[in-house]
Amino acid sequence: MLGKLVKYDLKYGMRIFIVLHAILVTACILGRILFMNQLDFNLKLEAYLSPLILFFSLFLLLFTGIGFGINILLVARFYKNLYTDEGYLTWTLPATATQQLWAKIISGIIWEFSSVLISAASLLILVSGDNVTEAYAQVAADVTKSLGMPITQFGISLLIYSLFGTLGSIVMLYLCVAIGQLFPGHRILCAIVTYFILSAIIQVLSFSLMFAFNIGPGTTAYLASRGMPATHYMVTSFRLGGVMSAIIMIAAYFGVQYIMNKKLNLS
Amino acid sequence: MKPLLECQGLTKKYNNFYALSNLDLTLERGQIVGLLGPNGSGKTTLIKLINGLLIPTDGRVMINSLAPGVETKKLVSYLPERGYLNDHMRVDEILSYFVDFYDNFSIERANAMLKDLEIDTHARLRTLSKGTKEKVQLVLVMSRDAELYILDEPIGGVDPAARDYILHTILTNYNENATILLSTHLITDIENVLDRVIFLQNGQLTLNATVDEIRSKWGKSVDALFREVFKC
Repeated sequence: MLGKLVKYDLKYGMRIFIVLHAILVTACILGRILFMNQLDFNLKLEAYLSPLILFFSLFLLLFTGIGFGINILLVARFYKNLYTDEGYLTWTLPATATQQLWAKIISGIIWEFSSVLISAASLLILVSGDNVTEAYAQVAADVTKSLGMPITQFGISLLIYSLFGTLGSIVMLYLCVAIGQLFPGHRILCAIVTYFILSAIIQVLSFSLMFAFNIGPGTTAYLASRGMPATHYMVTSFRLGGVMSAIIMIAAYFGVQYIMNKKLNLS
Repeated sequence: MKPLLECQGLTKKYNNFYALSNLDLTLERGQIVGLLGPNGSGKTTLIKLINGLLIPTDGRVMINSLAPGVETKKLVSYLPERGYLNDHMRVDEILSYFVDFYDNFSIERANAMLKDLEIDTHARLRTLSKGTKEKVQLVLVMSRDAELYILDEPIGGVDPAARDYILHTILTNYNENATILLSTHLITDIENVLDRVIFLQNGQLTLNATVDEIRSKWGKSVDALFREVFKC
């Protein structure tokens, strides 16, 4: 039953997913051919710095937009399939609420993981031209020293952290939609407000924990890390962030499961 | 034999409003039951509770001695009063969906009915008229070999000719051991097919009698009795 539910969840957003990522890959290929390959890093830095900053700002927007689009896709599927008129069919299928939730989590993980991997591959297309790799080779030693690890290892670490981070964010998004449905009216608005409130609470908690563990800005551990490679402080923060994400994910999971099992209230 | 449907002290409260209040009801197998009452009497609330779409405030509902859940959803075929299918899907995709999820869904029966109704199975739902969509939903629901069919306003949005076809479809496509619980305002259209009627008013049961009892005891048709009981 779970497999069938996942199949239909994936089928729902397939077209939008393909279109969004086709735009991203095409933009990266064109960006590589029309801009990146034309760059001459032997020129003075001032000659290409401004267009390079503008170019990467635009691509940052594009990557962020794609990530946002996938989140919207997940939330829309969760909301439409469970809490609008479609819910009358979904909730009368011979499946438990827990199976319904896991179907949404698994399909969400597949969408998010695929998106993160395609985005990483697209970024690689953008920056793997000969001129870029040759220019990077000249500063590689400095970058490695500054990061405390080779850039490839740094990139893979970021990728793994992103994948882990998406798990928590998926369940958190579902929790916000589920809480929104507890209100008698304006349920979408209530879900959005819930998202902002929960995000604010998590931010405050994160900062409190950072200070509690002596790694917040201005703490002794933070100041001591200033002379160390950039990744030292980052890895410490990531570890704490990872633990926080895991706790949030587990709490959010039980929250959604409780609402779906005990508070279903289709209008 | 255990009853097909049993409600004991079933109550659903929204804030301070009782949509259903302390309802006791038992339905046996092999009947067509009309669930009748004015707007806001609690018909749809009762139907949603049977289907597990609402959680009762108090009391319980049992289908074949089971609380609403996976097993009861295999037994109940439900037609809501609204469109519940994804408009972007094609009719044949929806048929595959039902085949995937319901072991008791007969694709042959569904295809035969869709052919009778001249509905193109390659058409996307959004391209069909409101009435045709309702017919597709009814075909899906009646193509299951269920034990309890719950039809909420199945003929409300279609023309009189289609109504006849739908009623004919209902009557010819259910197992005689199954029960049909049918909610509608169009009493005269369905009166002749009903075995029993249930009147609901303000969330409470006011009448539970066979059609023959109504005719012999009150000397009236169900429609006439309804108009008298629920006179504004």
